[in-house]
Amino acid sequence: MSIFLAQLLTGLAYGMLYFMIAVGLTIILGVMNVVNLAHGTLFMLGAYIAFTFINDEVNFWAALLLAVLLTAVLGLVLEKLLIKRIYGKELEQVLLTFGLSFIIADAIEWIWGTEMHTLPVPGLLSGSLSIGSTAFPLYRLFVVFIGCLLALLLWYLETKTRVGAIIRAGVDDRAMVSALGINVGLVFTGVFAFGAALAGLSGVLGGPLIGMYTGMDSEILVTSLIVVVIGGLGSWKGSFIGAIAIGVIETLGKVWFPSLSMLTVFLIMMIVLIIRPQGLFGREVA
Amino acid sequence: MKKLLLGVVLLIALVFAMPLVLSDFGINLATEIYIMAIFAMSLGLIMGYAGMVSLGHAGFFGIGAYTVAVIGQHVANTYLLLLLSVVISGLIALVTGAVFIRTSKFYFLMITLAFGQLLYVLFWQLKPWTGGADGMSVSAILNFGFGEIVSPNGFYYVMGIAFIIFYILLRLFVESPAGKITKGIMENEARMSALGYNVRVYKLLAYTLSGALAGLAGALYAYFNVFVSPDLSGWMFSGQVMVMVIIGGVGTLLGPALGASVFIYLQNFMSTYTERWPMVMGALLVALVLAGKGGLIHWLQHGKSLFVARKRTGEAVSQQPVKKGEAVH
Amino acid sequence: MSLLRVENISKSFKTLQVLRDVSLEVNPGERHVIIGPNGAGKTTLFHCITNILPIDSGAVYLDGKEISKLPAHHLAHLGMSRTFQKNNLFGDLTVEENIHLALAAKKPYRYDIFSPLISRTDIRKETNDILEQWEISNRRHVKVKHLSYGEQRLLEVLLAMASNPKILLLDEPTSGMSPAETAQTSEMIQKLPRSVALVVVEHDMDVVFAIADRITVLHHGEVILSGSPDEVRNNEVVKEIYFGGGAKKHA
Repeated sequence: MSIFLAQLLTGLAYGMLYFMIAVGLTIILGVMNVVNLAHGTLFMLGAYIAFTFINDEVNFWAALLLAVLLTAVLGLVLEKLLIKRIYGKELEQVLLTFGLSFIIADAIEWIWGTEMHTLPVPGLLSGSLSIGSTAFPLYRLFVVFIGCLLALLLWYLETKTRVGAIIRAGVDDRAMVSALGINVGLVFTGVFAFGAALAGLSGVLGGPLIGMYTGMDSEILVTSLIVVVIGGLGSWKGSFIGAIAIGVIETLGKVWFPSLSMLTVFLIMMIVLIIRPQGLFGREVA
Repeated sequence: MKKLLLGVVLLIALVFAMPLVLSDFGINLATEIYIMAIFAMSLGLIMGYAGMVSLGHAGFFGIGAYTVAVIGQHVANTYLLLLLSVVISGLIALVTGAVFIRTSKFYFLMITLAFGQLLYVLFWQLKPWTGGADGMSVSAILNFGFGEIVSPNGFYYVMGIAFIIFYILLRLFVESPAGKITKGIMENEARMSALGYNVRVYKLLAYTLSGALAGLAGALYAYFNVFVSPDLSGWMFSGQVMVMVIIGGVGTLLGPALGASVFIYLQNFMSTYTERWPMVMGALLVALVLAGKGGLIHWLQHGKSLFVARKRTGEAVSQQPVKKGEAVH
Repeated sequence: MSLLRVENISKSFKTLQVLRDVSLEVNPGERHVIIGPNGAGKTTLFHCITNILPIDSGAVYLDGKEISKLPAHHLAHLGMSRTFQKNNLFGDLTVEENIHLALAAKKPYRYDIFSPLISRTDIRKETNDILEQWEISNRRHVKVKHLSYGEQRLLEVLLAMASNPKILLLDEPTSGMSPAETAQTSEMIQKLPRSVALVVVEHDMDVVFAIADRITVLHHGEVILSGSPDEVRNNEVVKEIYFGGGAKKHA
């Protein structure tokens, strides 16, 4: 039982990481109709940036902050320079973001090599919390906490703020938003940078759990795409539930039938799509 | 029909003239290009004629390749192995496609990506059969009943002829009622439905044909490369073939084939000069998008139409702009 | 027996009820025009009849057979055809190719993946017949996106007629047309054979009264009157809500 609970926590922690990265992807898709195949690479980049700072004796939290800032800035620059030229052009988006992921991933390999690295768990969170006979690693609890905090923040932004209203309207009716005199371009840039920042954040937080290695960007991208598909395009709530489900099922699956965990995740996606082609929380296409 | 005949004659001439000027290395590269051209045409079919953008097409390529590698340990007959590759990849395309085509475009992109990655992981994890991450060598030998084909030249002609055959078959498909209707659905699904067409049947048909052909390309590749690995189904490869299709030109058949030639050539060329070829390739992609104006074949057609238009000046003004690129398909 | 029977259909989008218990009967060969102010639910009604939008309640019968649950492509085979409000053609194809696509829908070889469509003599002949009948043979090789707006709307109707339907639903056939084009289209609609029943959503009152055998007035998603053109013209309620504003273009 206690092993099961510990695994459940691990699954939840992974789920929260998936949520953090998938939510950026899904919001960018929902608001801007852009599919960003470089999203997984931004995740990886965040982790490597933090890795460099931590190696330079920078405190984990400062490194986290710096990595998030830098990925946000990169996202901002990319949107301003490149992404904004290809709104509404699906093929171009695929080509461009695919090209970007090539460039960034190769640059990472160039700078940091192909060895596998991990980030250290920050000292403050290196212990574990014992409840009964089960020891819960503090760091995993912390990741779950941050995930829930993000969900709360998104809920607050969506329902209580003007930005949320704009973004919601943008998802539903872009023409109306511009008619209201709102600078759609600015909103888009902001959303893209926010998504990039979340990718960076999850990369750093995932560093101590998943580590960093060549090819992780595509793995994480695929997992988050599955989360987005299951949850429904543009829905952060869908991503939240989808990510937790995938995190838990994948973790338990790895324990119970190690060779088929990916198959389980894929089958879940197929079943969801057969029942609801638009995903759990996706809007019906009229 | 006449144009098709002319095109085929030109292609045959090309295939048979190339060995006269190519080195051994060049022959090998050209062989690989023919296989990739078949693969790229299979993806080009659903992208350009059915409006389905798949990022998991390497999944089918891998299925075909592993069919030859795994089943080829027990079965020697080349025809049977190729048939099995086509049937297995076609069936898997049929079953998964039935679910995938119900979704809208972004979903389709993401789901197919997940599908390809699933196969990648499966080939990785089914180690007892597939050799896992290390891959496996292919023991089956290409033999169409005229003796074993092992020489570079032998492979070259087999793949060159295969490329021509599948180009003809695809050309026939896009001109056929089903092909035309599929194209109509891509342009206007609601209207085709109102006209009385069951749009899902056509989409599924195109997807299945495309998957089966990708599987066949994979099978040919397994013979050629005598080694298969999970990377054949990875998203990198899926992405690369999509790049071939796009740089060559979506909406044509020879465009993707041209894209495959350019891509494979550049890849080889660049990787001899720099280890950082993915970065160069990425930069090229970004540049291509920013330059924006379709694929290479569209540039060729554009050039041709300009030329034709100039020749026509002085003739009576036709109602219709110059037919772009009907001959170049 | 009526050809098309719409029985108490209702449709809501979330909280907004667009159609409320709408009923309608169309006899074979009848010209049935649906009018009503903007937002009355006319296009939604078309979408519901042709099952592009699923209905919440009620039923639609064609020849006594319930069709409300049938997929859109079945309807064409049962003899129901439609046009769309927005131009809905294949812009990159020529006039001829557009007609080919419309004709092939009923051909047994529509699933053929091997022999070229243009090698079929029956389809070539039928296409020629249509082109000649409507006197547009000289436009056959023009890409549809290069046609004038009026020509495109005409082609729209031709495509819908190509399957030889028993009933044809025309969604605002004259919308966006110049007065001359409108008159032409009106004339063309009157020329359509009586073997086909027409259900037309139309705004232009000249066209309405020129073609209608029967008029149904839709208002806020409800049928407020269904009757002969004279009955509609003289009905006080209709005058109030519909002609009350004065400007017919406003309608």
